[in-house]
Amino acid sequence: MQHCTPEQLALAALREPLSAEDTAHLAACAACRAEVASLQRGVDLLAVPQLAAPGAPVPPPPHVWEAIAAATGITASPRAEAPAVVSVPAASEAQVLPFRSRRRPLLMVAAAVVAGAVLGAGAVAVLRGDDDDGGETVEAVALDPLADNDASGRATIVVRDDGSRVLEVDLEASPLDDSYYEIWLIDQDVVGMVPLGVVRPGKQTVELPADLDVAAFPIVDVSVEPLDGDPTHSGVSVARGELES
Amino acid sequence: MTASPARLGSVLPVPSEPGTAPGAPEPDDREVARLFAAGDERGLALAYERWAGQVHGMAVRAFGPGPDAEDVTQQVFVSAWTGRAGYRPDKGPLPAWLVGVCRHKIADTWARRDRQRRETEAAVTEFQSAPSATTAGVDAAVADRVLLLDELDRLGQPQRGIIELAFFEDLTHQQIAARTGLPLGTVKSHIRRTLERLRTRLEVDGAALHA
Repeated sequence: MQHCTPEQLALAALREPLSAEDTAHLAACAACRAEVASLQRGVDLLAVPQLAAPGAPVPPPPHVWEAIAAATGITASPRAEAPAVVSVPAASEAQVLPFRSRRRPLLMVAAAVVAGAVLGAGAVAVLRGDDDDGGETVEAVALDPLADNDASGRATIVVRDDGSRVLEVDLEASPLDDSYYEIWLIDQDVVGMVPLGVVRPGKQTVELPADLDVAAFPIVDVSVEPLDGDPTHSGVSVARGELES
Repeated sequence: MTASPARLGSVLPVPSEPGTAPGAPEPDDREVARLFAAGDERGLALAYERWAGQVHGMAVRAFGPGPDAEDVTQQVFVSAWTGRAGYRPDKGPLPAWLVGVCRHKIADTWARRDRQRRETEAAVTEFQSAPSATTAGVDAAVADRVLLLDELDRLGQPQRGIIELAFFEDLTHQQIAARTGLPLGTVKSHIRRTLERLRTRLEVDGAALHA
């Protein structure tokens, strides 16, 4: 068995997409996966949005400079802070999109491929029958843990008597501090994402948008989202399943 | 040193404001860095004028607007000024260095809050004389982050610039190679060695393994 090269394992730790060959090997080789996990600790500690390269500038209030001048004893002073304020609208307009969209969609594909290869297609169950809440269960999907997470669960699409649809989510996962779980429907290219809302460990029901073509967004994904006000997917997926219809 | 390594970890320049100080040439970023490193007060004032917005933007992103973010921004400039001997103009642009100082201050603030939280919890636990439900280890990440930022400071170029582009600008190794002009193989082997080095630092000094 040909192991991945050390360089490829480092790229895997950075969650860069690997070749099909490396991906398949990684799925099958515990030693290579352990190496990736050990290299990934540093990545996970430092590659966080709060430490990322600066985004939109925010002019500090004037008393910040006053405190700096007092602490350093310097008498020179910056020109009126007005220019910084002036530059804000343009900069923030240009940088509303978060930095984290570039590589992460691909990484999630890679993670999904690995998880699929490890768990096998049999992990996804499809049911049809009457739901105990009176609606009709259209489809149920097992949510399997991704990578080293212990999160798992089940998502069930239920059509209520009035024709509206909901997703019943039963999530088994650890409680979080300073972050939360969010559930998404994602397309096969992992580009289009429909956020369905905040979920917590346990059972809950979220509405499905009327007329949403669920078949176009078959991946049910649970992510961990930081409390950063950023509405996009964090890139940290902990459990996932795929609808078959 | 050629121009390309100087671009590593660089921060977008802020366009200079037109129409100020007519007649006097506007010092360029390099000149501001030189003044700063030389301990000329104007260097600090100019650095603040140009880059406080970026630094404060990071602080606000981490802590939200308010006193915590303002404290971080203040600490960044005070600490950068008093520690200016640690800034080497030949190692990179001043704004990138300030951003690095800001990362330290953010991580330090997390660590301080975590320590305070645990002290409070410990006091509560003691008061209740309940079995110690210790949370040690849960927040080892906070301490380990401080450790790894320190390890990044010890990296030379181009290793440091490469890993910063990967970590903080979310670039792939191909994008890093394109940005820096370094060969793909060089970028990959630097990434590998740097990740190994961070792993070693965690193994030797990391809080998670010693909690």
